Amino acid sequence: MDLRPTAADEAFRQEVREWLGEHLRGEFAELGGAGGPGREHEGFEVRLAWERELGKGGWIGLDLAPEHGGRGAGLDRQVIWAEEYARAGAPARVNHMGEHLLAPTVAHFGTDAQRERFLPPILRGEELWCQGYSEPGAGSDLAAVRTRARLDGDVWRIDGQKVWTSLAMQADWCFAVVRSEPGSERHRGLSYLLVPMRQPGIEIRPIVQITGTSEFSEVFFEGATTDAANVVGESGEGWKVAMGTLGFERGVATLAQQIGFGRELEAVIATARETGATRDPEIAARLVDAWIELRTMRYQALRSLSDGQPVSASMSKLLWGPWHRRLGELAIDVRGADATRVEAPYALDGDQALFLYTRADTIYAGSNEIQRNIISERMLGLPQG
Amino acid sequence: MSVDFSFDEDQRELRTIIAAFLERHATSQAVREAAEGDGFAAEQWGRLTGEMELTGLAVDPERGGAGATFVEVGIAIEEIGRTLLPVPYLSTVTVAAVLSHICGDAEAAPLLGRIAGGAAAAVEFGDARPAAASEGEAADGGDRSAGSALHIKDDQVDGEVAVVDGVTAEIFILAGERADESVLVVVEAGAPGVTVTPLATLDQTRRQAQVRLDGAPATVLATGADAIAGARDLRSVAIAVESVGAAARALDETVTYLKERVQFGKPIGSFQALKHRCADLATELEAARSTAYYATWAVDGAPEELPVVAPLAEAVAGAALLHVAAESIQMHGGIGFTWEHDAHMYLKRAKANELLAGGYRGVRRLVGERAGILG
Repeated sequence: MDLRPTAADEAFRQEVREWLGEHLRGEFAELGGAGGPGREHEGFEVRLAWERELGKGGWIGLDLAPEHGGRGAGLDRQVIWAEEYARAGAPARVNHMGEHLLAPTVAHFGTDAQRERFLPPILRGEELWCQGYSEPGAGSDLAAVRTRARLDGDVWRIDGQKVWTSLAMQADWCFAVVRSEPGSERHRGLSYLLVPMRQPGIEIRPIVQITGTSEFSEVFFEGATTDAANVVGESGEGWKVAMGTLGFERGVATLAQQIGFGRELEAVIATARETGATRDPEIAARLVDAWIELRTMRYQALRSLSDGQPVSASMSKLLWGPWHRRLGELAIDVRGADATRVEAPYALDGDQALFLYTRADTIYAGSNEIQRNIISERMLGLPQG
Repeated sequence: MSVDFSFDEDQRELRTIIAAFLERHATSQAVREAAEGDGFAAEQWGRLTGEMELTGLAVDPERGGAGATFVEVGIAIEEIGRTLLPVPYLSTVTVAAVLSHICGDAEAAPLLGRIAGGAAAAVEFGDARPAAASEGEAADGGDRSAGSALHIKDDQVDGEVAVVDGVTAEIFILAGERADESVLVVVEAGAPGVTVTPLATLDQTRRQAQVRLDGAPATVLATGADAIAGARDLRSVAIAVESVGAAARALDETVTYLKERVQFGKPIGSFQALKHRCADLATELEAARSTAYYATWAVDGAPEELPVVAPLAEAVAGAALLHVAAESIQMHGGIGFTWEHDAHMYLKRAKANELLAGGYRGVRRLVGERAGILG
């Protein structure tokens, strides 16, 4: 049980700090920590330029093996990178889906030709991706996917609808789970396709959220096409590939996310001190609890990164989702009546956006109830109902 | 991994050995016999301290110990905590840690040697956490012995205090006041002027004694509020990791019961109303486990973090035990309300811990003050 960083880790941390210090300047620095969930509309073009700057520095896809264009960075280094990135107050990334979900999936399940075609543009920040999983009838129950794809000569033809697609408007490509075998059911007969977004067969309709802004869209496929070669893994084996992608989503991101949470909590506490809300014993207790729980989540994340003591990703989600929602409540509670007024016609400030956006944290990526099912059945071994 | 929370092979083996011993000798029946008798599992204590040498785990080899860290001690506390076996292990190793980390070597060395040899010890600070005493009042280390019932003058101590595990202790470490300063003294249970009266307790698995001191000889081990706060923090870490053990057992038992108990033609563990409660408890428990393990590591690995991490771990793990124990009774239904089922013993331990800590709200407030959360 050694929780101290090594000298090599510290040297890497220094390298990251120096690079960020040299490159996070001008319009990039002016953005502050803009973007991210609930704030994706902020400074998108500048953030895209920043993504390309990161690509030039070799900071995209750190975890990928060198032969795939990455640095082969282990968990420690990925955590250090993410921590320093958050600490520097750099803008939110624009290609989470491409870098953290699609790239490792293609590296793991893809062909050499797919790796050569799709990885370099992600690592250069040139092609953005969105995820086509959820459908109107397939939310928590992903295996209920109905969007159809059929092989027609050298192309796949795709018809159907995806929903809750983050950043669909900005994405160049979509990785989608589709039903490629007519009449198949549940987990069988699905394929994992890579589909270009800018084509006549695709229509994108943004969904206006409770924040008044739009990060999610509905995506309609009507005779959309993609090359026959753009299936990852075997045709009909898409469920396995999709589950692999979900696996890649978890892990390191948690510690980095907590740095962001820490900054949000500090801001809420600062506001509470300004408004005098800290003199209210109930508010003071809630702030201290939030701080304590964030610490607890950090210890939990550190333990989950160690060998031998696997900690469920579902537990992490069940801790941070409700925590973040409570933080959103605190953010406006410490403001009082002032937080009831928005900029006309309906522009929310950061606290208001946090309060409202965090409602989604316990719904997306597996609702609390889905996480509880997973924990009780897979970890505790309780029988299915 | 430099960020490594895992136990090494020796530590895992230690856990296996202790667990195997307890499996045989700390059965529910054995625990109950001791708890409902004089509150002391004497034979098991003899073997834990004798052949297994567990009280000397973190004692310097020069004093007859094994020279391990508090992580190893934590493993033993956690495993014993699972069973609620009535032995003064937590108190004794807390005293050993206080002697090693807080006190001067000259006074500590002979006492550590005796503890490594199996002498039971107990520690008492004489008051609930002052953070809980009054709303809004500063509750930093400086206030923590305020209102002590013990007064030290000319190497003699007077006063009266209830001491956890006080019946079996040969060595008492007690906080008191000498003139205007707080001091930590050692008092021998067998010394003249010391009267130890066993007390019946809500939690029968951990007894207390009323210790009356009439000019009893006392040796000062450390002075100042910081020393006493530091000693208290060590006990908090011990309580935290014990709570994790007890909560894990209570949850295991509950989950097992939910798989076996059939109503409406199926195991009640298939009902989401119960499954989801278990999932929440398991999540709270694992977060508490991570926190408590971090705290046991910090005792030797990052002592500068203890003023914040120790009460934090105690509050988080203590609450987890309280929640698991309370829910365990409910999910067992009527049987969970009976004396013959073990569920109530875990609830009583959980509540006693909370009350002895002065309430977790106060402990959390202390974390806030020490970490400067609200400025």
